[in-house]
Formats: sequence, structure tokens, C-alpha cells
Amino acid sequence: MTALRNIAIVGFAQLPIVARDEHRMATEMLYPAIRRALADCGVERDDIDYQIAGSTDYMDGRPFGFVAALDVMGSWPARQDLHLEMDAAFCAYYAWVRMQAGECDTALVAAHGKLSEGEPNRVLNLQLDPYYHAAIGLDAASTAALQASAYMARTGTTDRRLAEIAARNRTAGARNSDAQVRAPASADELQHTPWLVEPLRSGYVPPVGETATCLILAAEGKAEKFCDRPVWIHGVDHRTEMQTLGARDLSRSASTQLAAQKAFAMADLARAGDVDVVELSAATPAEELILCDALGLDTHADRPVINPSGGPLCGNPIMMTGGIRLGETFRQLAGRAVGREVHGAARGIAHATQGHCLQHNIVWVVGSERRWS
Amino acid sequence: MKRPVAVVGVGQTHHTSRRSDVSIPGLVREAVDRALLDAGLEHKDIDAVIIGKAPDMLEGIAQPEQFLAGALGAHLKPLLRVHTAGSVGASTALTAVTHVASGLYDRVLTVAFEKQSEGNAMWALSPNMPFTPPLVAGAGGFFAPYCRAYITKTKCPPHIGPVTAVNARANGALNEYAHLREPVTLDDVMSSPMLWDPIRFGETCPSSDGAIAMILSSADQAKKGPHKPAWVKSGYSYAEAMWVPGRDQVSPAAGRICAKAVYDKAGITDPWKQIDTAEIYVPFAWFEAMWLENLGFCDVGEGWKIIDRGEQKLGAHLPINPSGGVLCTNPIGASGMIRLGEAALQVMGRAGAHQVEGAKTALGHAYGGGAQYFAMWIVSSEE
Amino acid sequence: MSEPPKDPVKYVDSAVYLPYNYVAGDYKARYLAALKDKRIIGSKCSKTAKVFVPPLVCSPESFAPCDTFVDVADRGVVTTFCIVNIPVIGRDLEIPYVAASVALDGAAISIFALIQECKPADVRMGMRVEAVWKPDGERQGDHEDIQYFRPTGEPDAPQASYINRL
Repeated sequence: MTALRNIAIVGFAQLPIVARDEHRMATEMLYPAIRRALADCGVERDDIDYQIAGSTDYMDGRPFGFVAALDVMGSWPARQDLHLEMDAAFCAYYAWVRMQAGECDTALVAAHGKLSEGEPNRVLNLQLDPYYHAAIGLDAASTAALQASAYMARTGTTDRRLAEIAARNRTAGARNSDAQVRAPASADELQHTPWLVEPLRSGYVPPVGETATCLILAAEGKAEKFCDRPVWIHGVDHRTEMQTLGARDLSRSASTQLAAQKAFAMADLARAGDVDVVELSAATPAEELILCDALGLDTHADRPVINPSGGPLCGNPIMMTGGIRLGETFRQLAGRAVGREVHGAARGIAHATQGHCLQHNIVWVVGSERRWS
Repeated sequence: MKRPVAVVGVGQTHHTSRRSDVSIPGLVREAVDRALLDAGLEHKDIDAVIIGKAPDMLEGIAQPEQFLAGALGAHLKPLLRVHTAGSVGASTALTAVTHVASGLYDRVLTVAFEKQSEGNAMWALSPNMPFTPPLVAGAGGFFAPYCRAYITKTKCPPHIGPVTAVNARANGALNEYAHLREPVTLDDVMSSPMLWDPIRFGETCPSSDGAIAMILSSADQAKKGPHKPAWVKSGYSYAEAMWVPGRDQVSPAAGRICAKAVYDKAGITDPWKQIDTAEIYVPFAWFEAMWLENLGFCDVGEGWKIIDRGEQKLGAHLPINPSGGVLCTNPIGASGMIRLGEAALQVMGRAGAHQVEGAKTALGHAYGGGAQYFAMWIVSSEE
Repeated sequence: MSEPPKDPVKYVDSAVYLPYNYVAGDYKARYLAALKDKRIIGSKCSKTAKVFVPPLVCSPESFAPCDTFVDVADRGVVTTFCIVNIPVIGRDLEIPYVAASVALDGAAISIFALIQECKPADVRMGMRVEAVWKPDGERQGDHEDIQYFRPTGEPDAPQASYINRL
């Protein structure tokens, strides 16, 4: 594999995830996140070559809702810019591609959205094929339940197992001051929560929450000035699958498996188990298990630590969740995961997803050392 | 760009007000299949898919790229969805260019579409914005005051908008893919209802269903293709904030900055002389004069004179929108890519009846938002 | 289950119902509340002292916070406008009407406003206008507290003073 440019994550800022911020619009939440990320890097807005943002009109309840974000991103003078109707983790990917093309050396990746303003579940129903899936009223909870059901049927995974995974995430989230859900909960407690859509209990899924995030990426040569411990990108790949639920093996994530294979090859990572930290965009414990299978992770092992942030179960601001996984992995490796550090973390995996039943997945491999010399 | 990028295939649908014969996947596939055929490639040859479209409310499906992934041949491939308002089609193509330029991808399919007949376009574009008094219906209401400002500042005569529209429609008549294919007369336009003074109905773009796809590839791949490719000499997308005090909304700085970047990279020092034809985003006729200035084809205040002298007609010095442009065809999400694709077709010598003789260098341009987003490329017949 | 269709099913109707409850944000809320008192407030850029109406949290130009509030006048200049002949969904305005960009005295950016009490053909760039408020007791602290703007009768502002403030 030919040597690529060493690019690092050098900054990450987010507001704490809350159920609803009554005082600020989405762009007003984004502004402090951007200022903070730049300040943490010790740079000015003009030191950043490229900006890219992620959000969705439907979640915003405003067509062209993202246009207003230009006004809080420092878009004057005019900047080289892009907006994707996708999670921040995918925006970060394109920023990385741009840097590989030599088009920029630094990038600001912003994401915003006030999920509390609408009913995300209704929007997620509209994300499905309008003829069959949406028409029968499937929403995110029901499609996730279908997937959980398929997984449990194939593997014999029990309700208890799901409760244990949820409890582990809740314990971790309790140490994360940015998480929305910060009260630990035991497997017993969670296993006694009512069914949301069987086999998923209400304790196994996140509440609706919102925040704003900003990641800063920089290429070798700049990264060292922006951050004392840059987190270098070793490998990354993303793949989607066709949406049709009945046409996929929902008990597996073929796209995650393929993306991981490619990302690991680029990273020269023999197996997922060789890293210290893994942050997965798993909105349910079943998703976590499916993703671990796809990555080749043993979910009973202590290392790597999975979702030391508490994961999406403790805060799932749609369009930002994936970016936060990347940001949390950065925090761990850069020594900034206050109160929840995974000691000696030197390599990590971050994952993000889009669409129902893990339709589209991106896998990042990062490390404290440069990948290419 | 780390390495050269070529356009090796272009495919578009026959744009019209309502494609009732195909579903959204069908519409998109029509363009994709034509582009693949054009490039002599198959789905299995494609490394990634980059898709763009305007607000999802236009068709009522949230993030429709997910629903379309299978139809796009994107199963188990990377897929990205771009949305930069009106310029989206163009910024989407540029995103694909960067993928190839990076060396990470050799053949990238890029698609842009809108099937706005399936929703209510007026509602999708101008719903009640929270905490803001609703004042105008449609984009025209937003832009009309700036057209008025241009007319006042430059003393542009009242026939320029109508002449632009007449010319666009004459070109559209030569473009088999255009939505509006009947020529109109000056009288037709001038007697059409005034929608948002100074913009008349006859000076306004239609609402269309349509899709366009292109295949961008590495030089190695381009040399294997059945046709001579178009080479992407440069391409950039810029955006600026809206509420900057004193922001020039008639000739936005972002447009001038983007054009300069695109020209500098392509070695263009005199656009009027060195560019053979340009496909520029003109949804309301008055913008043609405004963009001619913004794009540096002439000095400030001189844009309308180019039109008055007929220098932008097919066969004249700098044919503008030989395809008929947005005034003849406007599937919102696709329009930006249609501009870039038509520019490519011109330098490939494959624009059929609306071919500009001997076109070697062409500009493709799009804008969006409150004239904040600009995405453009220069393509050439030479590597 | 009734008879299956004889012709192929061509269209599927899907009515979308999506409720949204938007947060105004403290800045907008403050602006709206002040309208009740016939005050128009803006926020001032901490770096350039330029005033934005309605108030913005951050200056789009300087990127600095706008953390103080100031009053601006309820009168200003029509910088540009258009005459609208298309009805707006959900509002009953008599057509044709004038939608204008109004630069209020003291504000660095313009607001969009309705111009009434004159013939559309009489509106011009540079025309001085003033807000017409709802009467005392009827104002609610929302954007309808200003009904529209009307000409003041003052001499037009010179082109140079507004042509770059569109």
C-alpha cells in the first residue's frame, strides 16, 4: 500500500448533549463549539483552510437549514466549503480525502441539529422507501427491533445479554460530563424497563438529544502546532448497502465488515482486538454486538474498551453521533478524556453509521504514532 | 489536485415537468445507465458514488440516497450525499473530482437529480420559517430586489431580461434533453405576467423532473474510454456568510473569489478571450448579465451590454448557456451538475445541435443559497 | 379487501405530517419581546461595534461574539425591493404588494419588510420609511407587532448611502 499523507485529528469540542436547549438555536449552539475547538488548538479561524458541515434539513425542520450555519462558521471572507446531508464522521472523511488530494492542510468539521424541535422518529420513517417500508409505519425503533430480532434468532443472544451491554454503556456514560444520560443503571434495572418494540426495551435505546460539535483535522506539518498529542489517522473506509431490509442479512453488517477490512489494511492493523479503545455508533446493544462481530471483536474481553464515552445509548444527537465517536477516540488518545480515560490508549477505532439497520458504515483507525514515515 | 481528472461519461434524462413514467430510482438510473454506457463502463467498475440533490422535502423522502443506494449500484461501495442548496449539482461533481484527484479512487460515479413533481415544490422551498414574517413565495421573491438593484446601478434597459430569456429558449430548442423546447418571442416574454417585479414569468425557470450523471476518472482510465474525455483543469466550491454588513448581493464576493481560484488554477488570465463557452446558472433572466460581471467576463456595469450586442448567443463570441440553461430546465438538485456536464460535453465535441464550434475550454458554474454558495469548473479538450 | 386494480398502480399518495416546535433562542426572544414595547433591538459586535437586527449571537463578518444589545430606530431606508404578484401560502396579503429590504437607522444589515400606504409604483430605492406598529394593548411581542412600513415623506437618501447596504 502506497504511503498516504499523515493527517491527524487535532481538536474536538462539543456542547454537553441535552434533551433540549431552550436558550439557543442550532447555529447558536454551534458557534461556541467552533470557538472552543479553535481556542483549544490555539489558532484563529483564518488558520483553517477548509470547512465542511453535516446536518439534515428534515431533522432541522427547515429546508436549507444548514445555510444559516455559514454565518457562525466564520465564512467571511468566502471559504472553500461543503455541506453533506450526513453525519459529521462522513464530513471528516471527505476533509481527509481533500487533504490526500493536497487541496488543503487543515479542516474544520462542524455538525449541528436540534433534534428536540421535531419528532425524529417521524423523520426516520420518511427515510425509508416510500412504497413499502415507510407506508407500513416502520420507524427507527421498529427497524432496530427487526435487526435485533434477527441477530438474537441467529446467535441465541438473550435479553439479559442486551441488558448487560446497555448497563456497561450506562456505567461509562456516568463518567462522561458531555453525555445526556449520566445516571448508571444495572442490567437488572434495564432488563425491567418496558418493551419499546420487542425485543428492544426502552432502557436499551437512547433518548432524543441535541448538541453541536466541531472537529479540527490537520496534516503533518501543521498538526504538531495545533495539538500536543495529535491523533493520527491510520486507515479509514466506508461502505453502504442497499436499503431494502428484506434483501439484507440484518443479523450481520456486511458493509461494516468490508469497511473494516479496508480500513485495517490501510492501517496495517491485524485485528480490531489490537487497539485499546473502540467507539461504536451503536444505538442499541444489538447493534453493538453486530458491529463487534463485523469488526472481529470479542465482546467479553476487557480490552479494547468499548464505548468508554457511554456511546450513543447515553447521548445520540443524530448527525453528530458519529463525529462524537471520532472525537471521543481523539480525546482518549490525546489524554483529554477527563474522568474516563483508558490508560495507555495508543490506538483506537471509531465507527459511524447512517440509515436504518446499520445501512451505511464508516470505520476509522487512529493512533498516537504516525502511520507513514 | 494530485493527479489529472477526466470526465469520461455523461448521461442525462429528458427533463420535463413530470416524469410519470418512472419512479425516482428509475429516473436516476436512466441518467446513470446512460453515463455508464457513454463511458464504456459497468457498475462493477465504479469505485464510489457521490450524489447530490436539493432539500429532501421536494420529494418527501428524508435522505433519499439511502433509499436509492441499491439503484445507484452503490451496494458495498462508498457513497456520499452532498447538499449545498442550488449549487449542489456542481459541488457534488467537484466532490467526485477530488475523490479521483486524491489517488484513492479511479472511477467515480456522480449523480444529481430532482423529481420535484412528486412533492409540492413551492411548499418545500418556502415554508413558514420560524420567527420570521413570511413575505415572499419562492426564490424569485428573494432575488428580485437584487435584480432591481443591478438594473438601477447599471442603468440596464428593460429589454435585457426578456432578450436573455428569448436567447435561452432558442438554445433550448436545439437541446434534445431540455425541458422547455419551444422558442419564445420578445413579445411573449414582455407580455407575460410580472411575478416579482422586475422578474416576469417568461424570465423564470420552469420546475422540472430530471437527473444527470457523470463518470470522473483517472487519466489511465480516460485513455481506455471510447470517447475523447473532457479534462478538469480546475474546480472549486466556496461559500460566504449571509448577513455580512454591506455584502454585495448583486456581485457576491464568493462568486468572484471562486472564479478567480478556478481561473488561476486553469491558467486563465482573460476569461473573455480564453473561454470558448460557459454554462452558468441563470434561474431568472437578469442573472445572466449579473454573472457575466461576477465571473470577470467584463467590467462592472458592462454585463448587460454583452447581451445587448448579442455576443452571448450561439455562434457569437462567447455563447452562454448553449444548452438553454436553467431557464429551460430546472430540476433543482440536478441543475448545477447539468451546467458542469454540458460544459464537458462542449469540449468533448458532443453537444449535438447546440455544439459550440471548436469549443476547447468551457466554464461550468452554479450558485445557491442567498447567492452564497458558488461551485465552478473549467474543462478542456486538452489534458 | 376490494377488487384489485385493473390498471397498473401508478401513483401512491403519501401525506406527510411533521410537527415542529422551534426554539427562538434567547436573542430572538429578546428581540420579539421588545417589539411589544415598540423597541427594535439589535446585538452589537464586540469587535467592530456594528449592530445586527434581528440580533445575532456572532458577527458573520468578524466572527466575534455580539454580546451587547442596543436599540435601533424604527425607521430607515428602502435599499431595494420587488413588487410581488404571487400569494404567500398562509397569509392573506392583497396583491400586488411591495416586499422591501429596509436598512434601519443604526443597523448594519437590512430586514425584509412589507411596504404599504402607498402605491407599489411609487416605491423607490432610497425611500425613507417608518414602522407602523399595532396599537398599544394589541402588541403581543411577535413579529406582527410591526404591521408594515410606510413612507415618511422625508427626502430620499442619496444612492451612495444605501447602494452598498442592500
